[in-house]
Amino acid sequence: MRPDDAQAKRGGSPHPPRNEGHERGGYGDPPRGNLAPEPATLEAEGLRFAYAPGEAVLAGLSMTAPAGRLTAVLGPNGSGKTTLLKVLVGLLAPSAGEVRLAGRPLASYRRADLARRLAYVPQETLAAVGFTVRETVLMGRSPHVGALGFESEADWRAAREALRLTETERFAERDLADLSGGERQRVLVARALAQEPDVVLLDEPTSFLDIRHQHGIYGLLRHLVGEEGKTVVTVSHDLSLAAAYADAVVLVARGEVAAAGTPLEVIRPEVLEPVYETPVEVRTDEATGRPLVLPRPPQR
Amino acid sequence: MTPRPLTPARYVASLVAWVALWLPVAAVAVVVGGRLWTWGSRAQMADVLWLRLEWVATASAVGASLALAGLAMQALLRNPLAEPYILGVSGGAGLAYVLGSLFLSVAAAPLLAMAGAMATVVLVYAIARRRGRLQPYTLLLAGVILNAFYAAGIMLVTAVVRPEQRGEIAVWMMGNIGAFGPQWPLIGVVAALAAGAGVLFAFLAKGFNLVAVGEDTAGALGVRVHRLRAVTFVAASLLAGASVALAGPIGFVGLICPHVLRMLLGPDHRRLVPAALFFGATFLVLADLAACFWEGATNRAVPVGVLTAMCGGPFFIYLLRTRWRKRMEVR
Repeated sequence: MRPDDAQAKRGGSPHPPRNEGHERGGYGDPPRGNLAPEPATLEAEGLRFAYAPGEAVLAGLSMTAPAGRLTAVLGPNGSGKTTLLKVLVGLLAPSAGEVRLAGRPLASYRRADLARRLAYVPQETLAAVGFTVRETVLMGRSPHVGALGFESEADWRAAREALRLTETERFAERDLADLSGGERQRVLVARALAQEPDVVLLDEPTSFLDIRHQHGIYGLLRHLVGEEGKTVVTVSHDLSLAAAYADAVVLVARGEVAAAGTPLEVIRPEVLEPVYETPVEVRTDEATGRPLVLPRPPQR
Repeated sequence: MTPRPLTPARYVASLVAWVALWLPVAAVAVVVGGRLWTWGSRAQMADVLWLRLEWVATASAVGASLALAGLAMQALLRNPLAEPYILGVSGGAGLAYVLGSLFLSVAAAPLLAMAGAMATVVLVYAIARRRGRLQPYTLLLAGVILNAFYAAGIMLVTAVVRPEQRGEIAVWMMGNIGAFGPQWPLIGVVAALAAGAGVLFAFLAKGFNLVAVGEDTAGALGVRVHRLRAVTFVAASLLAGASVALAGPIGFVGLICPHVLRMLLGPDHRRLVPAALFFGATFLVLADLAACFWEGATNRAVPVGVLTAMCGGPFFIYLLRTRWRKRMEVR
């Protein structure tokens, strides 16, 4: 029995936020909100990329982020996850291979059209420029506004909605630089939401967050997938967290896909150990049926 | 203060307000002036007013150009201390202008100044960029070094030219308005460049905001960062080069004006671009008026560039030590 089937049988009683997504979305067909955009599949085929000649970061990588699902990209440091994400967003052009959004090559989109469909949340951006939280979130509207940058009431509404979803309204008028790392991360997610994209790509969105906010962010990502019908791709270092929330997992090693599938298929010691080069123990979280990863000290 | 969306009506209103700041100041400067207090016949008065009009036009065009160039450089280089004078751009334009006016022709010199400015921007940028990122302190150091190099170049030229040319170069190097006779065609060029850049930057302001936050963020939000940077650098170089050709290297206007405006208006370039155009113009008209009054009172000419540098130096240290320290250290 699949974990979400198990969960479905327990019924829809009040649940902690982290289970929210699975019960609504899980691996089944993603429910769609009324105003949900067309879910878009993001596919990469044979991606090659190098910052310097002879130092391939991506070595013929192929993967699919299915429409309306949460895909977690995992892998050790230096495996090419961030580079992959930048290629998937179109910030870096691969030397070979291509990325397709909703079946169309990324390169065939106009830059502004792409920005209306793909949102990217970088790992950490320079914050101390003096913009308030609201101004930062409104920047997400820039692909939608005209050349002089005048925002309409609809733009402000979208920003307000993004602030509400990320629970950042109460510090909307504060300087972004004065926020904690966790608050700032939520604001960056809010900016991506204000963009109203079909696909959201996040680079380690929980790396600066405590456990409550980690689950807060992943709960929000589940909401995006389950309620808004968005496609979400997130890079993560936290295997258990990714396993608990993701519909699909892509394990990257040395610029290639080492394994891909459901969390249960990928989060297994025999798959993880050769990639991370360290012993791990995988248990099952009884509450969710999802894998839990426990790193073990290497044996001498 | 409740935040309000920037609507076309508010934009136009702020534009009108900035014109309403600059225009009376310029008018007063023409009528009152500081130098040339001799009131004589009607014809003499007309001459005096005409001359003052030329100075005010020069100061306005140069002030607007430098403020806009500084604002754009700070945004695109993501460095609050970037400015044509500090980064050596004015120095590069200066050396090129001096060489051009000595060895080529007066008409070729301004073009050479613009080329010198552009070459310096490219050079500073290439020196400070490592692994795709701009190093903030390397950027300033590159400017310091290039400035020293250009200063040495100008000194070398000064040392080898005829004695009567020496004084002229020295006066020009201090940054002067109206020291070398009527230059209406060049004033027209600089004013047109400033106005053109004002319009261009107004359309790029959205991109300036996003690049200031982060290049990847800007790219993901639809900005063609490389194209934006190339266009802006060319425009800023033309502004700085043409200003230097017209009035010599006047320092720190590009630092003081954008930062005073940021303190007043916040970091949004959509508001800052039109403000910089008119505030820069107003600032330099006032600075030149102060220099004129000084000259009128003491009978000793004070180049306006000396005055702005004397204000700008301490202001630079203030920015470095307090307000922008955090921002410099983030990266």
